[in-house]
Amino acid sequence: MEISARQPLPATKKNHPAGGVLVVLGAIIGVMAVGGWKAFAAFGPEFLISAVWNPVTQHFGAAAPVFGTIVSSALALVVAVPLAFGTAFWLAALAPPAAAAFIGMAVQLLAAVPSIIFGMWGFFVVVPLIAHYVQPTARHLFGHVPGLSALVAGAPFGTGLFTASLILAIMITPSITAVMRDVFVSMPTVLRESAYGLGATRWEVMRNVVLPWSRQGVIGAVVLGMGRAMGETMAVTFVIGDSNHIGWSLFAPANTIASLIALEFPESPAGSLKLASLMALGAILMAISFLTLWFSRWLLARGQKAAGG
Amino acid sequence: MNVEVQTETVAAEQTVTVAEAEKDIRPIALQVRDLDFYYGKSHALHDISLNFPERSVTSMIGPSGCGKSTLLRVLNRMYDLYPGQKATGEVIFDGQNILASGVDLNVLRSRIGMVFQKPTPFPMSIYDNIAFGIRLHERVSRSEMDGRVEDALRRVALWSEVQDRLSSSATAMSGGQQQRLCIARTIAVRPEVILLDEPTSALDPVSTARIEELLDELKTEFTIAIVTHNMQQAARCADQVAFFYMGKLIEVDSTARMFTNPREQQTQDYITGRFG
Repeated sequence: MEISARQPLPATKKNHPAGGVLVVLGAIIGVMAVGGWKAFAAFGPEFLISAVWNPVTQHFGAAAPVFGTIVSSALALVVAVPLAFGTAFWLAALAPPAAAAFIGMAVQLLAAVPSIIFGMWGFFVVVPLIAHYVQPTARHLFGHVPGLSALVAGAPFGTGLFTASLILAIMITPSITAVMRDVFVSMPTVLRESAYGLGATRWEVMRNVVLPWSRQGVIGAVVLGMGRAMGETMAVTFVIGDSNHIGWSLFAPANTIASLIALEFPESPAGSLKLASLMALGAILMAISFLTLWFSRWLLARGQKAAGG
Repeated sequence: MNVEVQTETVAAEQTVTVAEAEKDIRPIALQVRDLDFYYGKSHALHDISLNFPERSVTSMIGPSGCGKSTLLRVLNRMYDLYPGQKATGEVIFDGQNILASGVDLNVLRSRIGMVFQKPTPFPMSIYDNIAFGIRLHERVSRSEMDGRVEDALRRVALWSEVQDRLSSSATAMSGGQQQRLCIARTIAVRPEVILLDEPTSALDPVSTARIEELLDELKTEFTIAIVTHNMQQAARCADQVAFFYMGKLIEVDSTARMFTNPREQQTQDYITGRFG
């Protein structure tokens, strides 16, 4: 064992360790597709656009949880990215070294909190706050504004899309911050000094040199956060409210793909259409993740072209 | 203690002689007086006094760690980016002590530009690399900006090589071209002084020769301070040479005198290659 471990890795493509990753990935997609095939066969394309999820009539559709996944992740990013960006910028460029070390460590600790803790905290602390204060206030402020009233409609349960997004934002902010900070810090010192040497202010250095230089890493950090938000299960399951329903209200109970799978899986017998539908949802979640990744790469390539690279 | 006093006296005497020697030649652009520099607790520069005559090249030589680059970083207060680095003494520029608090560093650095050891093109187009510095300090029309960019590129003899691809990325250029671009970027801001920190150490001999020719032209308009490891380069480019050793300014004189008849034994040893 000792000896074989010391031997250089074989250079042939066949045995390359990266090949193993592809095999596992292919296997996962295969299992999801095969397991979910029954659902696709039974409902056809309607599976993707139907918002019905009715175990009694054995009618299942993916639209509601897909909607919940995309909206909650997007909202979480809207909250988390500016926060993470600001924090990372402060840590990398403005903070006194002692404070940066301390806060940086705190951020990493926050990233290490297990998601079930966020779920319980969300359920016992955030949900009542939303129910008693946030939604009533929002309804008071926007309830009569045309266009906005629909966003705040519904009974104040406390659970729902908004709460889930908020928890997700809190969960993904630290990891996005940590990656962005590393990206900012890893910029070569001389490049930074060159910009200062021309008389640029901190903000100008950040805006015109550090950001373009670290664009790839920043987008990577955002995609990483988005991936985590879309796949996050436990924390969301606690606070999303478990309702397969598409609506305008941010405060209405909903479901994400991950939370629906977690909630329904124990009640889905092997070979049932319901289990097949859940597997199909898993396949869809993977497809969405790949599309996101692909889209971010496309954004990146386009951005580089625009910058003359 | 005794030794230090002696060194100080020697340094003081030198300043006087240098000042006398330079007095009738050119006005002084930058005057360093009694400068001490600290990286935290480590004392990196000891009581430096040195004049940079206007529109000439002053070369700073000495073995690694002698403080020559540190001095350069004091002159545009680059050290200010790092907490724990501290300078005492005076650097007089345009009648003002630039080490004093309350100096606008962004303006100072636009008047005292810097070129680094490695070429540092920004991750943007060739055009934008030049325009970057100008935009920081001035609002100029598109046509004027085009003119300024062209002018800067012409002066570093880069225009003919890049005029067809101004919008392509600067990071795709060769190393020598990148370094000339960095010099163009610096002079586009129209500084009075240009600091160069071993600007050719990462370049091949042909590119090095082009940069050295360039220095000869630039000194008709700018005051130039260049740190170099390369003694021949100092001999070729400089009007005045300052030799540093272990954080002290050992000797400063005209290039001809430094390389033919230095006053100090240490200088003699260094330039003849006995150490360093």
